[in-house]
Amino acid sequence: MDRNGDIALRMVGITKRFPGVLANDNVTFELKAGEVHGLLGENGAGKTTLVNILFGIHQPDSGEIFINDKKVEVTSPRAANDLGIGMVHQHFMLVENLTALENIVLGLPLERPPLLDLNPARARFRELTKEYDLDLDPSTPVWQLPVGDQQWLEFLKLLFRDARILILDEPTAVLAPSQVERLFKTIRYLADEGCSIVFISHKLREMKEVADRVTVLRDGHVVGTVDPRGTTPSQLAQMMVGRDVFLDRRSRPLSESKQAVLAINGLSCQDDRGTLALRDLSLNAYAGEIVGVAGVDGNGQRELAECIAGLRQPTRGTVQINGKPVSGVVRDTSLLGFIPEDRRKTGLVLGFGVAENLILKTFAEPRFTRHRVMQWGAIQQEANTLIQEYDIRTPHSMMPVRFLSGGNQQRVVVARELSGDPALVVASQATRGLDVSAIESAHKMLLRERNRGAAVLFISTELPEVLALSDRIIIMFEGQIMGELDAESADVGLIGELMLGHREVAEMAAGETV
Amino acid sequence: MKKRTATVLPGLGGFVLPYARPFLAIALALLVSAGLILARGANPIAAYTAMLQGAFGSVAALANTGVRATPLLLGGLGVALGFKAGLLNVGAEGQIYAGGIAATAVGISPLPVPPWLHLLLTVVAGFVGGALWGLIPAYLRAYRGVSEIVVTLMLNYVGIQLASFLVQEYAPLGEQGVFYPQSPLILPSAHLPILIKGTSLHGGIVLGLVLGVFLHFVLRYTNFGFRTRMVGENPEAARYAGVDVRRQIFTALSVACGLGGLAGTSEVIGLKLRLFDRFSQGLGYDAIAVALMANGNPLGVILTAIFFGALRAGAGKMQVVVGIETPIASVIQALAVLFVIAIGFTERARVTRREREQEPEQERAVHGDQ
Repeated sequence: MDRNGDIALRMVGITKRFPGVLANDNVTFELKAGEVHGLLGENGAGKTTLVNILFGIHQPDSGEIFINDKKVEVTSPRAANDLGIGMVHQHFMLVENLTALENIVLGLPLERPPLLDLNPARARFRELTKEYDLDLDPSTPVWQLPVGDQQWLEFLKLLFRDARILILDEPTAVLAPSQVERLFKTIRYLADEGCSIVFISHKLREMKEVADRVTVLRDGHVVGTVDPRGTTPSQLAQMMVGRDVFLDRRSRPLSESKQAVLAINGLSCQDDRGTLALRDLSLNAYAGEIVGVAGVDGNGQRELAECIAGLRQPTRGTVQINGKPVSGVVRDTSLLGFIPEDRRKTGLVLGFGVAENLILKTFAEPRFTRHRVMQWGAIQQEANTLIQEYDIRTPHSMMPVRFLSGGNQQRVVVARELSGDPALVVASQATRGLDVSAIESAHKMLLRERNRGAAVLFISTELPEVLALSDRIIIMFEGQIMGELDAESADVGLIGELMLGHREVAEMAAGETV
Repeated sequence: MKKRTATVLPGLGGFVLPYARPFLAIALALLVSAGLILARGANPIAAYTAMLQGAFGSVAALANTGVRATPLLLGGLGVALGFKAGLLNVGAEGQIYAGGIAATAVGISPLPVPPWLHLLLTVVAGFVGGALWGLIPAYLRAYRGVSEIVVTLMLNYVGIQLASFLVQEYAPLGEQGVFYPQSPLILPSAHLPILIKGTSLHGGIVLGLVLGVFLHFVLRYTNFGFRTRMVGENPEAARYAGVDVRRQIFTALSVACGLGGLAGTSEVIGLKLRLFDRFSQGLGYDAIAVALMANGNPLGVILTAIFFGALRAGAGKMQVVVGIETPIASVIQALAVLFVIAIGFTERARVTRREREQEPEQERAVHGDQ
């Protein structure tokens, strides 16, 4: 029996290397019984890798795990379950067509093999829902349940399995504010019952509210473990984003232009789940500047890019490019070059050849089509020019892009989107998943566009590259612009706070520094 | 540079192999079937020789092969067009009846037009009949998100029963005073011409060959084809490139169903010369096999349809010469399709594995950390 305050879990010297990146570097992490322990860090800081190792999804390259001072091997999620470790994933692991109760018993040993007798489980289900004051019918199919109840179901799954160590991976990301409050009450209740909870979040406010201790990760290693109540938000933010090395920032002449290429006015829209993703957002981008959009993933950046490209219908507000209102997908590559977030899913047709992908948007233009018949000669010629100009490494222009490397795939997208000399370039996570040299060449490309006189909107969750590349930085949080800073003199700590939604503190700090 | 070529060449193999795949599958199917023939106590070489003669050995044999290949070809093109748009149109059987009904309605009507125009109108009616029939799954799929597989499959039963009803004595297309439910004869002016005197090889094969080449051209060289393939390969990217994905799906599936209607049309006005109850007997399902085997490539559909036609035509001769029953033709056909699918699976596994290897690890790490 674990008593509150005892060490329930120790992870010592955990190192996990994925080829090309050190995801966890000698991480040591301690969890007390009955404690809510926050894990804070930027995208890619190694939080999820760490909990995935704890849950048996990944195996560490080195390091040891102790539960109640006993060394254990977590070889699989099943082994983790047996050790009393449970995880609520950010994206629920539920079978939508099964009922709430069926989802809970899924994977549990049968009570009366070979028959599936749900009655004991149903009784326990009722008990638990009573204990937690839940209004949850065990026979409702999961797809009919609201998100909040689905999350409860994930909790019930863990309670059924007698989990003592609970991992919650950004549990508030899918919830409305009122549900968040309820969730926190539950977390506190479970902790008082003796459960130990690892709580992952991007939001400082939540850390202060629910966590007993917070461990901050950065670039795969532990920066420190602190008491959130005894730490100011700016200290936490500094721990999270403060860096030893910055990418080189190239000095450049500032643009004098006052011509708004991109004009966004009072824009609101919904995300795919139908919740508000952008709230009354206004933004201008001028010719010859790079506007960096910083922010933690999932704060409306994707929806912003899609609204500009006409892929998403705003609920309110307008988007104008060079004075022309956007309505419907913008295909004119002299107006907009859009490098989408997911090149493999959105930006490319993997089964198509390089040439076909290069004309994905422009195939109907007269230079490629005559009387609705495609002029493959002209298309090939154009493709070969672009392949040379953008240094796309491919044996021939009809090679399916599926067989190209990630960097070369990105070059195909970039070549298609930039070859029309667009007035506005929107690059959404353009360097994600690329190696160092490919990132370098993408940055160069965007600088070249800027110097040509294009307005560039550079959306990235990697703060260093936003700092290195932008003339002006805006920070997004929950669909709003939290602040706008001159990139030349931007204070990283301040950006970190704004990214975490801490406007008041940021304003105070700004007042002090100015 | 050397290393790069090494990583790229297997890709080239993946690029070339799809065209070799059906031939490998056919070879394997014939090999396995040879075992079955041996087990029946016959000489497989003798059996296959007889089959070859029965399919290609004489003018009559060739004509027979052509006649049997025709509906598979036209129906297979319809299924293939669906494939290219990313749709599984398993409703060729129903479309055959829909097209057959429409063609019959025009073909038995004495219209005050020259014979060539009557024929043309009948063929067009068959296409339109299939396409109108296809509006149901096309609309439901494109604008209501209902699986086209379910709808086209279920409509097969509707089509079969509708034709059954229409040829009853009391129904609009039924002939009076006959024992078997059937329509009146198609008027001679609406007959597809016989290509070789003394055989039943009719103009349907020409229609099929022309449309096969035409469809290949459309898919490869026109905007419509480019959009269709884009939607089929990656609808999300198509939307991003400004294609109206729903409209494309709607149009492509309707046209595909129209081609299925032509398969029924050519059977009715080329071979049967009237609409019979249950005249198709599963041709529409074989058409799916044809398109599968050809991986949706219209030129491949031509070859596959001829191969399947030859199997059926040759099976009779084989039965006479070596005493192996004709269903062996179906066995070979089924095995060939299964082998094509199996080879496709191993291929895809190989490609996916390579893709995973190529995917930079950062990406996985970063994506894993969200």
